[in-house]
Amino acid sequence: MPSSESVADRKDPLLDEDELLDLFEHAPCGYLAAAPDGRITRVNQTLLEWLGTTPEHVVGSRFLDLLTIAGKIYYETHFAPLLRMQGRFDEVALDLRRPDGRVVPVLVNARERHAADGHVGFIRITVFNASERRRYERELLDARRQSDAAAAELRELTRTLESRVEAEVAHRMEAEAALRQAQKMDAIGQLTGGVAHDFNNLLTVVLGGLETIGRQLDHLPGEAALARAQRALTMARHGAERCATLTARLLAFARRQPLRPKPVDAGRLVTGLADLLQRTLGETVALETVTGSGLWPALADPGELENALLNLAVNARDAMPRGGQLTIETSNACLDEDYVAAIAEPLAAGHYVLIAVSDTGQGMDEDALRQAFEPFFTTKDVGKGTGLGLSQVYGFVRQSGGHVRIYSELGRGTTVKLYLPRHLGTLASPPEVTSTERAAGVGGSETILVVEDHDDLRAYSTGLLRDLGYRVLAATDATTGLRLLEREPDVALLFTDVILPGGVDGRHLAGEAQHRQPGLKVLFTTGYAPNAVLRDGRLDPGMDLISKPFTGQALSNRVRSALDR
Amino acid sequence: MREVLERHNVHISGHGPRTMVFAHGFGCDQNMWRWVAPAFDERFRVVLFDHIGAGRSDLSAFDRERHASLDGYADDVIAICRALDVEHGVFVGHSVSAMIGVLAARRAPELFDDMVLIGPSPRYIDDPQAGYAGGFSAGQIEELLEFLDNNHMGWSQSMAPLIMGNADRPQLAEELTNSFCRTDPEIARHFARTTFLSDNRDDLEGLAARVLVLQCAHDVIAPESVGHFVHARLPNSRLVLMQATGHCPNLSAPDETVAAIDAFV
Repeated sequence: MPSSESVADRKDPLLDEDELLDLFEHAPCGYLAAAPDGRITRVNQTLLEWLGTTPEHVVGSRFLDLLTIAGKIYYETHFAPLLRMQGRFDEVALDLRRPDGRVVPVLVNARERHAADGHVGFIRITVFNASERRRYERELLDARRQSDAAAAELRELTRTLESRVEAEVAHRMEAEAALRQAQKMDAIGQLTGGVAHDFNNLLTVVLGGLETIGRQLDHLPGEAALARAQRALTMARHGAERCATLTARLLAFARRQPLRPKPVDAGRLVTGLADLLQRTLGETVALETVTGSGLWPALADPGELENALLNLAVNARDAMPRGGQLTIETSNACLDEDYVAAIAEPLAAGHYVLIAVSDTGQGMDEDALRQAFEPFFTTKDVGKGTGLGLSQVYGFVRQSGGHVRIYSELGRGTTVKLYLPRHLGTLASPPEVTSTERAAGVGGSETILVVEDHDDLRAYSTGLLRDLGYRVLAATDATTGLRLLEREPDVALLFTDVILPGGVDGRHLAGEAQHRQPGLKVLFTTGYAPNAVLRDGRLDPGMDLISKPFTGQALSNRVRSALDR
Repeated sequence: MREVLERHNVHISGHGPRTMVFAHGFGCDQNMWRWVAPAFDERFRVVLFDHIGAGRSDLSAFDRERHASLDGYADDVIAICRALDVEHGVFVGHSVSAMIGVLAARRAPELFDDMVLIGPSPRYIDDPQAGYAGGFSAGQIEELLEFLDNNHMGWSQSMAPLIMGNADRPQLAEELTNSFCRTDPEIARHFARTTFLSDNRDDLEGLAARVLVLQCAHDVIAPESVGHFVHARLPNSRLVLMQATGHCPNLSAPDETVAAIDAFV
């Protein structure tokens, strides 16, 4: 339509004033008219409804007054200048503040309307409700923020991928190395345990033979020849005994030695051992023992613990050829979950008794440290060490349910820390005197059933017991043994190897025998005591056991004391 | 030297022995001087520029750290003036640029002998302990900054130059409706934070230049009490309370503004 036309010219008979007013008041947008100075002169119903107010509260105030604080600032700094300069602004996002404090998000358009003389007549402001739109925008913004964050995270992950992979691989390799080491130690343990067991059987025979020879020599005349034979005999016996010590250490490493754990006051044990240790160390090494107060009792085999400390002392002495100091310190220790998780072997978190043995010697490098517990590994010159000292310590402590840690620095010294499980309870009365070397040579006339699969050993044992006056029955396996028992109700003592062929071991045999013949005494013998047979490698109270290799003397004592129990 | 002038989209007009530098405030660009600056072309060399982030300034020159305080913007003013060998000139600063001019004059006193501060505010947030009424509570300014952070799209859409940062479609900036005063929304957000959290009350003390403070009526950004405070702190100042209302007399009442400046210089 031509612009020169005025509203009056195209008067529509259907469009009356009421209808126009209705459109103005209830249009789908808010409407404001403002004077050039910003004072509001007119407002429609739609906007009043959005604002929840009445015309009196709006007319006369400035558009600015309807805005939130941010809107006021932005209106004054951005949009008022814009309106002045370009005569309008469009779709400005602002928030209106209702008298009740709520906020109405809106889009605002403004136009300067000019009078005939060119001056601004009034400002027309149209307001669109943007609640929905603002909600979408917020959701869109949130989505964008999330996707930006995800992208940033992805970038970061990609950036650090290489180093994370490296770290993970290094970690895995470390874990694998630790596992391999543990498996190796286990394999060596199996091997040495097996070898030592067979060796013990043989040594028992050798020592028994030597003993017999010795007894016979005593009855022979001929001075010079006899003396030579006796010297040779002594040497042979020493050799065999040293062999026995070696196999004992191998078994200790393999954790297959029979242990007799007792509550031990580690502080008192160390103090009691001080003399012997000082003699072992020699004059150039000073020994200092430090015992913490309130020390918990440990649960360990005191004899083996002494052996372990002696082994450590020998190592320390050899590490300090020019002298130095050895410190043995006992204290309470708590190994937490973190510590326990960081070591390869299974170990329970909790309370331990710590015995730390520190020297001021030459120390070990990392390679040596890694292999320190392996049997036959030694830093000493050929012929100087067996390489079994630390492995005895390791095996003993592990079998006792404890933990060993070595700290060493080249040129500074070495500390070996033994963590032994805490005994929860009171200390028993001083350990009974071991019956092993009690009064010698006592025999008897009771009937003894010997069950042993090793032929030479069975022959040796039965011969020896017969010599002592006992009536001896012999069997090579459990089934034969039980059959003999049925026939011979007089058997007073069952002397059996723990490991037997034919599917029934010594322990089951003993159980069955005692079931059939209550009151039957049992004495076990073994080259080792596997965990499966003796509970956790420890003897049940009331059982008796003699370790291979044994001498005739030792056997006669143990048989007698078992019978008298 | 040319880089500085290009960076700030510097426009020089007029002739005269002295230079008059116009600095726009937050929310606008040198366009806001369109009805004031030409009045001084006959007697002064007139310099117009855009702050970094506004108008046709070089957005890449924006430095988040340097421009985190008004000192960074003052350094920009000094650089422009030195590039143009301004000495003993006149500085006309609107809104936050009034304080930017004060900071520049303190650092380089040789630049300006006379300063016109339109709607200055050395601190927008009230300081009840010091008996200072800046016009806004801390909570209100927090609300403003939160609004900017949370409702970025809402307000940046309301700002024409949303497209300004869009390198693919630079022509759009020209076509947009709300295009007179251009500001980059991201930078403007940062500038708002810098501006409304600033406190430069101590920088007023002992300013050497002669100062004219132009104070409008009903200015929500810089209320009259602030104008009196500035006048009281500046030893060599004159306060003129204008008829004009609002925060931008240079746009709403250019004649009155020109007359007041003219009378001063």
